[in-house]
Amino acid sequence: MQAYNNIASAIFDFLLTPFGHEFIYFDLLFWPVIMGIGALQVYKVASNQAAITRVKTQISMHLLEIRLFRDDLLQVLKSTGLIVLKNFIYVGHNMMPMAVMLLPMVAVMVQLVAHYGYEPSPPGSVEVLQLRLDPAAGVSSRDVSLQTPDGVSLDAPMVRTADGQVFWRLRADRAGDHVLTVDVGEERFEKAWAVGGDHRKIPVKRLRSWEALLYPGEEAIPAHSPVLAIEWKGHTRPLAYLPDGELGILLWTMVLSMAAGIALKDVFGVTL
Amino acid sequence: MKRSLSTRLCSLMEKTTSLVCAGLLASSLACAEPAANTGIFIMGVDGMDPVILSRLMEEGKMPNFAQLAKEGSYQSLGTSNPPQSPVAWSNFVTGMNPGGHGIFDFMHRNVHNYAPISSATRVTGGEAKTLHFFGYVIPISGGELENNRGGTPWWDLLVEQGVDVEVYRIPGNFPTPPSEAKVLDGMGTTDLRGGFGTYTLYTDTLPEKKKPKGDIQFVTVRDLDLDGTPDTVNSILRGPPDQLHLEPGQIPHDKDYLTTGVTVHIDPEAAAAVIEVGGQYIVIEEGEWSEWLEVTYDLAPMGLMPVTGTVRFFAKSLRPNFQLYASPVNISPSNPVMPISTPDEFSAELTEALGFYYTQGMPEEQEALKDGVFSEDDYLKQVALVQQDTRLMLDLALNRFEPGDATFVYFSDIDLQCHMLWRHGDPKTLGAPHHPAYDAATAKGHTQDIERFYRDVDEALGETRKRLPEDTLLMVMSDHGFQPFTRDVHLNAWLRDNGYLVMKEGKTTGYTVGSDVDWNKTRAFGLGFNGLYLNIKGREEQGIVDPAEADALMAELIQKLEAFKDPAEGASVVLNVRRGSEIYNGPRIAEGPDLLVGYNKGYGASDESALGQITEDVIANNTSRWSGSHLMAPEVVPGILLLNRKLTREGHELVDLTATILSYYGIKALPEMTGEPVL
Repeated sequence: MQAYNNIASAIFDFLLTPFGHEFIYFDLLFWPVIMGIGALQVYKVASNQAAITRVKTQISMHLLEIRLFRDDLLQVLKSTGLIVLKNFIYVGHNMMPMAVMLLPMVAVMVQLVAHYGYEPSPPGSVEVLQLRLDPAAGVSSRDVSLQTPDGVSLDAPMVRTADGQVFWRLRADRAGDHVLTVDVGEERFEKAWAVGGDHRKIPVKRLRSWEALLYPGEEAIPAHSPVLAIEWKGHTRPLAYLPDGELGILLWTMVLSMAAGIALKDVFGVTL
Repeated sequence: MKRSLSTRLCSLMEKTTSLVCAGLLASSLACAEPAANTGIFIMGVDGMDPVILSRLMEEGKMPNFAQLAKEGSYQSLGTSNPPQSPVAWSNFVTGMNPGGHGIFDFMHRNVHNYAPISSATRVTGGEAKTLHFFGYVIPISGGELENNRGGTPWWDLLVEQGVDVEVYRIPGNFPTPPSEAKVLDGMGTTDLRGGFGTYTLYTDTLPEKKKPKGDIQFVTVRDLDLDGTPDTVNSILRGPPDQLHLEPGQIPHDKDYLTTGVTVHIDPEAAAAVIEVGGQYIVIEEGEWSEWLEVTYDLAPMGLMPVTGTVRFFAKSLRPNFQLYASPVNISPSNPVMPISTPDEFSAELTEALGFYYTQGMPEEQEALKDGVFSEDDYLKQVALVQQDTRLMLDLALNRFEPGDATFVYFSDIDLQCHMLWRHGDPKTLGAPHHPAYDAATAKGHTQDIERFYRDVDEALGETRKRLPEDTLLMVMSDHGFQPFTRDVHLNAWLRDNGYLVMKEGKTTGYTVGSDVDWNKTRAFGLGFNGLYLNIKGREEQGIVDPAEADALMAELIQKLEAFKDPAEGASVVLNVRRGSEIYNGPRIAEGPDLLVGYNKGYGASDESALGQITEDVIANNTSRWSGSHLMAPEVVPGILLLNRKLTREGHELVDLTATILSYYGIKALPEMTGEPVL
């Protein structure tokens, strides 16, 4: 998991943001179009193009039947039923290419979100850091402690919950890429906090599960650690006319890549 | 603030054109007007009293006010009749009296059933029609609420002439009427539940008052990890009424509100907790207020109709007794479920600049103090948060102000604190006898609180004067002054005892609404804080007073009420009683009370009487924490007016300020406006 995150991040840290993190729209236009073209190529190879053409023709034919024999109720019902059936078949033909496309598309979107979905906390802001313990690890929340670096101070006493969570309210006294240290029993963890400065890749969550693949801003938590997660809520980045942060990027990327695929399907000779 | 195009063009042309062009420019009405003045900045200080202000200025405690008074003008300002905030601010906004704008009191009466109704709204579009669909009640048409205030606000007339206007928290502007000006609604704006501020108290102990106005959630602190220390509380936070399951006009019960879950995790050792609401977490220490938290309620399934509000928590006590207070859920300014500003997005624009802020009309949570849920210190801590909002808004308004603009900023604190803290020590008559609600132990350390709020406004004035261009017209005004409120008058009980209001057989107490009053024998009744209505035939549902006899009946009531003496103290209870038809003019006179009861200082209508209740006693000591008031005769509670210009005469009223604002920009007042410019 961590090896994948390292490789993927190395590639995308190089490829993304050729104009810096401030100029967000180059990547938000370029990558969805590339994804759309890539998806077309995958679709062409991974799908049964002849079968798709055939089933689409059949659907058109049944639609024509409904139009021509609209006075014949039985025929209309039969054609409608066949359209529904053929649609299922059409969807079935799409399953394989969808499955093949899903992973690379998610990989790109995850990187786009990590780079553009969040912004640094403003200096002076107060945020809550949350740590979740693995109940199976048998470590008590009383064995958890936090060391703050210069520039970060504890704003209230830590709170430990009965269900194995620990919360700290922290104040960002000054800008910087701060590193906090959390001791859990004998183990030590680091958690980054991006405060102030320019837009950049923002570390929001450190996770132990497979979900760490979705948050490549920081290293995953080792598999056998007593800690499940250390996370901030994070400041979503405003994206003008799109919904803020992650949601805006995901929606935009999906819509634009699909639009690019549909627009370019004839150029690449693909039947969708 | 962005200046109008005409202003910018004028400015550019002034710098570059020849004298000929300048001559042409001067002849152009559109261009000449904005260049002719440097704008107006108004500080609207609710409840600032001339007697208190004069004393504090003399004592050197209000240096900025004293300086403004010396360099410009200072005088008392005639308030509205009745001197109630919604009425007074409507006078100021429209330049008309209640006969014109139609706001006569906090409460009006329903002519059909004698019930008190809010004066702020009226229903339009006819009877509400709904469609019932799988258990949902879907509104189709009608039953829309709109602002009941008539007339044209001064800001609309200014905007028409290209003036940039910003109005922060104007009372009586909710529901929000359409406008091109930037206006944020103030007093009268409801919370998300549709009331004027319902707090929630999560507690494992009984509150002091038997029927508190808040939503009391009795909770158990559970020991989730079985370590012997109770640690977790699960409860709910009520939001808006579930409108899609309520019939139009149906009063919601507790079960009819949308809810969201609230979980509180208390640390086993530290006096701190985490509050979890809607997947968000806040860490809070005992005795501390949290930041605002945005909460979402789903009106329709699958999140199709989310309603967002904002709430903040106060950890009053975590152990051994658990008491967590949640503010009323305010309408979220960043995503308001209904407009609280014009344009709609102005409230969100302010959120971007200031963060979340109180949107509920009366942000000071006085109900919690009245109910004994807050101590004086708890309450003042909350008031400090409101003051912080006000100062941030003032700061923003000053940052955005440019010459030629018109800006109004509202200050609520003096009004609310005079209402709530007067009992600790009369700031108007030093050495006055103690208020009936005075308690030496509680008053300790709080006798100077009201003065402190005056001094805070003085500081705000100093900051304002420092930052405003010198020649900008600065106006500081209040809608009314204040007096102690020591004696509760139950007007309906007086009417009953004097034979004007007749109860049904076997009843001596009850309500005007319902079946307690014998309307076939009743000639007059009270509703609202100063209103007295005759039971006129053909007007009221069960009216018996012949319109031809109304005048004589009013004369009789005036004579008797003005002779009404307090049996305990011998003082006159009522200073004067005025006929609505004599003091009002405009198309809406008929909607108002027939008589306006102007109570003497120290006296005021009880809450019960204002809501149409007929009590046993006629008059009683006011032992409530609501201990200062202005719901009296206008003559005993004038407001204040300060300008950085010399005034040549006195005796001005609120409506004159409307005329002054318009004339300052060369705009002719509308024919229905009754004021005269003071400059």
